[in-house]
Amino acid sequence: MNKDHIFNLIVSYACQLIPKLEGHQFKPGDRLADLGANSVDRAEIIIMAMEALSLHIPRVELFGANNIGELVDVLYEKSQK
Amino acid sequence: MITVGIEAMNVFGGTAYLDVMQLADHRKLDAIRFENLLMKEKAVALPYEDPVTCGVNAAKPLVDSLSEEEKDSIEMLITCTESGIDFGKSISTYIHHYLGLNRNCRLFELKQACYSGTAGFQMGVNFILSRVSPGAKVLVVATDISRFMVADGGDELTSDWSFAEPSGGAGAVAILISERPYIFQVDVGANGYYGYEVMDTCRPLPDSGAGDADLSLLSYLDCCEQAFLEYQKRVAGVDYRESFQYLTFHTPFGGMVKGAHRTMMRKLAKASPAEIEEDFRQRVMPGMIYCQRVGNIMGATLFLSLASAIDHGRFDYPKRIGCFSYGSGCCSEFFSGVVTAQGQQRQRLLGIESMLNDRYQLSMHEYDTLLKGSGEVRFGARNVRLDLQLIPGVLASCRGKERLYLEEIREFHREYRWFS
Repeated sequence: MNKDHIFNLIVSYACQLIPKLEGHQFKPGDRLADLGANSVDRAEIIIMAMEALSLHIPRVELFGANNIGELVDVLYEKSQK
Repeated sequence: MITVGIEAMNVFGGTAYLDVMQLADHRKLDAIRFENLLMKEKAVALPYEDPVTCGVNAAKPLVDSLSEEEKDSIEMLITCTESGIDFGKSISTYIHHYLGLNRNCRLFELKQACYSGTAGFQMGVNFILSRVSPGAKVLVVATDISRFMVADGGDELTSDWSFAEPSGGAGAVAILISERPYIFQVDVGANGYYGYEVMDTCRPLPDSGAGDADLSLLSYLDCCEQAFLEYQKRVAGVDYRESFQYLTFHTPFGGMVKGAHRTMMRKLAKASPAEIEEDFRQRVMPGMIYCQRVGNIMGATLFLSLASAIDHGRFDYPKRIGCFSYGSGCCSEFFSGVVTAQGQQRQRLLGIESMLNDRYQLSMHEYDTLLKGSGEVRFGARNVRLDLQLIPGVLASCRGKERLYLEEIREFHREYRWFS
């Protein structure tokens, strides 16, 4: 899966959890917290992405991204291993 | 092998509480999204309440129900807390004094964030199993108070701390462990533990906490899965969905547990969203009711959830409860035990629910007075006399109940007084 696919996954999960984001023009620099995702939502988005990418690693390894673009990067990097 | 487990267990869920929806409104949090977090009320510690008073107030009814001989057989009093009041002297010494226990008793304190109660519990269980002192009992008192103040400066560790305020509670659970496990018979040897170093949430300062909610959630989820997988490795034929009629969790707030349960059911039981929702209602909700009323009492929270499941479950036949404990930093454990209808009847005699119903409800104004630090006792306070009338009406509301409160600190020594 390339980075665009992963980005689109994150966008669809964010919209699923926070319906009011439907129609929002997502950019890599967007922060999930600023879009209204609380810490439970953010963990849920990471878990759903891990399942979609069949990533079997400790979830804490995906901690530390500051925005959606960085989350995409770390998910992509882990999925290449 | 002898049986072991909980002979009796009692909860102290605070003297005063706050309606958390009111707080969310006051802090302008999104009401609908906030409802998903499943928080209702939280106990708020008054300046004259500390981990000693909460612990004693939880344990006193248990100790009072024992004969002199039984009381004298308590040979170990373990306090479990992350709200200690002294680096050296453990609060078990004060609790021992105010409960009037036998002096031939080991007194000490354990720490590992919210895992402390489980650490104490397992130590008690193993002491009984060792049979080095047949007939002995262990009193474990898990007691914690949240400090609302967030450490200033340093963005990293204090981002999205907004759930800490509505979820942080105050209270204690007292657990009497013996070879007469009327309430909860431990499945001996059925334990899966999992821990590693992580800086998720901590209390690096005397009167405030710090942490990262995102990292803590991810670590909690990792541990929930890994501790259970280790349990499954050690116990033949275990199935996450079928082996436990109830599940109890360390519950910082309900929404977090709901997320963990959902993740576990999706991954380990391959359940559909509708099945997961139904399973949550059936197996998890009974254990969440008290947690929703007291808030997070850290080391004591898992046992608050266990008490809730025992009081609210249906025990038409003996049922197994799975318990997941997590403490930041971190250490975690999945263990289990069996509860019977007779056990539930005994447990209900303590009237935990009515104790919670009888608490004093704080107005937002009164809560703000406390939040601004009025009358607050800081760590290391040397000489203080407490204003027991800071919020008039609170003490009057507990008339008829025997309660211990902090009256004075004199040269660091805490002096408490019984009120009734």
